[in-house]
Amino acid sequence: MTRHELTRFPLIKALLKNRWPQLAVYAALLAGFIFAIFAGFVGSPVGNHNFSIVFVWIAWWAMLILAAVPFFGRGWCAVCPIPLPGEWLQRGAILELAPTGKGVSLGRRWPNPLRNIWMQNISFTLVALFSSVILTMPLITAVVLSAMFFLAIGSSMVFERRAFCRYLCPVGGFIGLYSQIAPLELRVKTTRACASCKEKPCYHGSEAGYGCPWQVFPGGLQKNSYCGLCMECLRTCPVDNIAVNLRPFSSDLATPTKRLDEAFKAFIMVGAALIYAGVLLGPWGALKDAAYRIGSGVWFAYVGVFLSVLFVLMPSLYALAVKAGMLLAKTSSAVRPAFAAMSAALVPLGLMFWVAFSLGFVFTNATYILAALSDPLGWGWNLFGTANIPWQPLFTGLLAPLQTLVLIAGMLWSAGTAQKIASAAGVRPLPVIIYCLLATLVMLGLLL
Amino acid sequence: MKSAMIFRLLMLAGGLALALLPSFAQAAPPVERVFRIEASSFAYKPGQIQLNLGDRVTLELVSMDVVHGLYLDGYDLSLTADPGQTARLTFVADRAGSFRFRCNVTCGAMHPFMIGKLTVGPNHSFTLAAGLTISAIAIFLLIHPRRASQ
Amino acid sequence: MKREILARILLLALCLVVVLIPLALRDRSLTLRARMPEDDGWSPQVIQAAAGQPLRLRLTSEDVTHGFAVGQMEMASVDVLPGVVSEVTLLFDEPGIYTFFCTRWCGLNHWRMRGTIEVSGGDAPALADAPLYVALGLDIDAPHPVPGVPSQIPSAARGGQLAEIVSLAEFSTPEYYRAHSPYQVYQDLVSTNLNAAERWDVVSYLWRSQTTAEGLAEGARLYAQNCAACHGETGGGDGVFADQLAASGQSSSQTMHGSMSARTPADFTDAQNMLGASPALLQGKLMRGGMGTGMPMWGVIFTEEQSWNIIAFLYSFQFQYQGVTR
Repeated sequence: MTRHELTRFPLIKALLKNRWPQLAVYAALLAGFIFAIFAGFVGSPVGNHNFSIVFVWIAWWAMLILAAVPFFGRGWCAVCPIPLPGEWLQRGAILELAPTGKGVSLGRRWPNPLRNIWMQNISFTLVALFSSVILTMPLITAVVLSAMFFLAIGSSMVFERRAFCRYLCPVGGFIGLYSQIAPLELRVKTTRACASCKEKPCYHGSEAGYGCPWQVFPGGLQKNSYCGLCMECLRTCPVDNIAVNLRPFSSDLATPTKRLDEAFKAFIMVGAALIYAGVLLGPWGALKDAAYRIGSGVWFAYVGVFLSVLFVLMPSLYALAVKAGMLLAKTSSAVRPAFAAMSAALVPLGLMFWVAFSLGFVFTNATYILAALSDPLGWGWNLFGTANIPWQPLFTGLLAPLQTLVLIAGMLWSAGTAQKIASAAGVRPLPVIIYCLLATLVMLGLLL
Repeated sequence: MKSAMIFRLLMLAGGLALALLPSFAQAAPPVERVFRIEASSFAYKPGQIQLNLGDRVTLELVSMDVVHGLYLDGYDLSLTADPGQTARLTFVADRAGSFRFRCNVTCGAMHPFMIGKLTVGPNHSFTLAAGLTISAIAIFLLIHPRRASQ
Repeated sequence: MKREILARILLLALCLVVVLIPLALRDRSLTLRARMPEDDGWSPQVIQAAAGQPLRLRLTSEDVTHGFAVGQMEMASVDVLPGVVSEVTLLFDEPGIYTFFCTRWCGLNHWRMRGTIEVSGGDAPALADAPLYVALGLDIDAPHPVPGVPSQIPSAARGGQLAEIVSLAEFSTPEYYRAHSPYQVYQDLVSTNLNAAERWDVVSYLWRSQTTAEGLAEGARLYAQNCAACHGETGGGDGVFADQLAASGQSSSQTMHGSMSARTPADFTDAQNMLGASPALLQGKLMRGGMGTGMPMWGVIFTEEQSWNIIAFLYSFQFQYQGVTR
């Protein structure tokens, strides 16, 4: 396995260690975030002429799912503005290090029963169930973004470190899951140096920086899932033992999870992608109606189906596939650990499902980005002359081939992952591979 | 195991057949067709239209509540209809495959998802993709038989 | 410490700027917002203006496509599109209360989407004349079926040929046309000794000669934009909203003359009813609207001339006008 250390280059290391470049990015994104909320509350209620819808659900989402997550893992988390005011209040400073005690926070430890990603599974599912109004109505987007903002600030006032990011953020749940396949990572160079380090300033903080806001001990980092790439440990390590590396894709899946919360996150993502492809991008008006008429009888039926598919149908079928694989391998160990381990195969599959789905609406609606740049509030402005660019779907001829390529790649990737994990997990991978193949064929049928 | 190898070869054959055979299927002769499409927020009725390659098609867009439009991917055709004023467009379906048609007049919140599907001939896009997927996994399994287990 | 203060100032300034600058740049002139009538329609619904002073309006829609025009003024309607701002400048010569209305169908209740512009200043405007049906003393709500309908569609072209051999002076005035139903004229034509079919053809010719090709074209255009959504593109009372209107009628106890179908839009292809209606009667129904049915009141929207053009067009569902070029 070839890893290339990026922080070996002095320029890169300097850029990452210095707080000013990071602050510049923070400032721009925080201003943009506040503007998105403002636009949602005050601008035109017409989604495709409002910065909040166009720049959050088209531009930012495209950047996230097509670039940031597959290539930078938790790269978005590294610059996300949502936790910033809370974190600054916690620390008592934005840039300079403040002596401890200057911050405003109760600093409590996150409760043990919630030290998992179940809250994130639930919050993502909630957003998904209401997505028909969240993705289309600026006011609702503004409300959701504000809620996340205040929840993050509130959690920082009560709990230590980035409690919202680690345990509550609906987006962070899947970014963490999929960051396992990214070709970028932050790890220690040698564990020996950590073993002989007494103060562990990477976790507790020092005069050079703060302790890990993600509640991670860098010396023990094996996977990308919970490292937010904030670079504090790069600043605090007294022996320069922290490195940011380029590495092969899906390296973290070689050691699959044992946790059910992460396994279910994988099902939630695959299931949600399938349902979105059918309901939002498909030709069945009755389904869209059911998803849109929140509070009605059909909507509750839709919610029932949605939850059953994500939490019951897909996991049970997968468990059957894992069990079949165990029978084929003539193993008699427990299903649960094998089930959790084999769920790693759904990580590349799910990511590719989301890439294929997102391509379906990003190219179609990209021209709104140019229009919203010139008239972000739908007030009749024309800042850059592009306000009257008519809607025109782009690259429609490329869409089907691209989606096919992406889904085939995801299918092969998940098959390879299944094979790698299978022997250690004591199963034969074929049933799981068939499961992934069938899911891919369904996704192709829905999108094409 | 021999049976596993046979299974994978069959899968490969099946996948290739699915991908390639529809192109050799006897195309049905083209006819004149008229489709009345009712557009309401946020769906088209019918939502799916099947045509033969070469058909001369007239689309009649009837808006049932507010002003709607119809934009056909691939053919780059566009229609707008006010309620009470049916819009008509005639074209020859000379491109095979599956094409989405979408509303191009903002008609409410779910407007970006107001989508229908027009298929000319067999859905080549899907059969090709599905066939390639099955072939790809078959080839993968042939090249990478299962890792030796305990 | 200085760097910290700089950082705080930078961030605070940036966050305030993105909110304060748009608020400062916001155009404070009168913006008329359009929503579907189910969501309150126009806002504001009443606008103040002064005679002789231009009124500049910014228009935007907050949901679907709408349009804007002022009734009984010669103006092209302005599209009011979602998320887009359009502008119109109006100039009123006379004071009075003007009605502005939506010109692009925006749902079942589109026709209710109206507001008023109260124009002050100048002398009080002259009162409008009472509509013709009032002067004629017509009961426009009374049913008007005819006992017999033509066996073939009456043709204005054939009627025109017959008109050359028969004296029609008394039947050819606008006053006569407006005050009589086609059936009445058919009966009055008995004095010409033509047979039934020929007499219907002459009626058709007489009706056609009271309008022009331009008038019929305008009637057709106004019908398509304002009437077809309920009355149907081919006049059969089967427009896209017909079912909803009928359904809302069944749940209401207010129907005209106890008839359950009174809420279905009128069928202009129904000869029995249309041929018994004089132009004045139809114009009355158009301008006054039907109490208890879904028929809007168009009196403040159409000019007299526009209303007669629409009525002339309605009769083209009964008569064959092809072959006449005038």
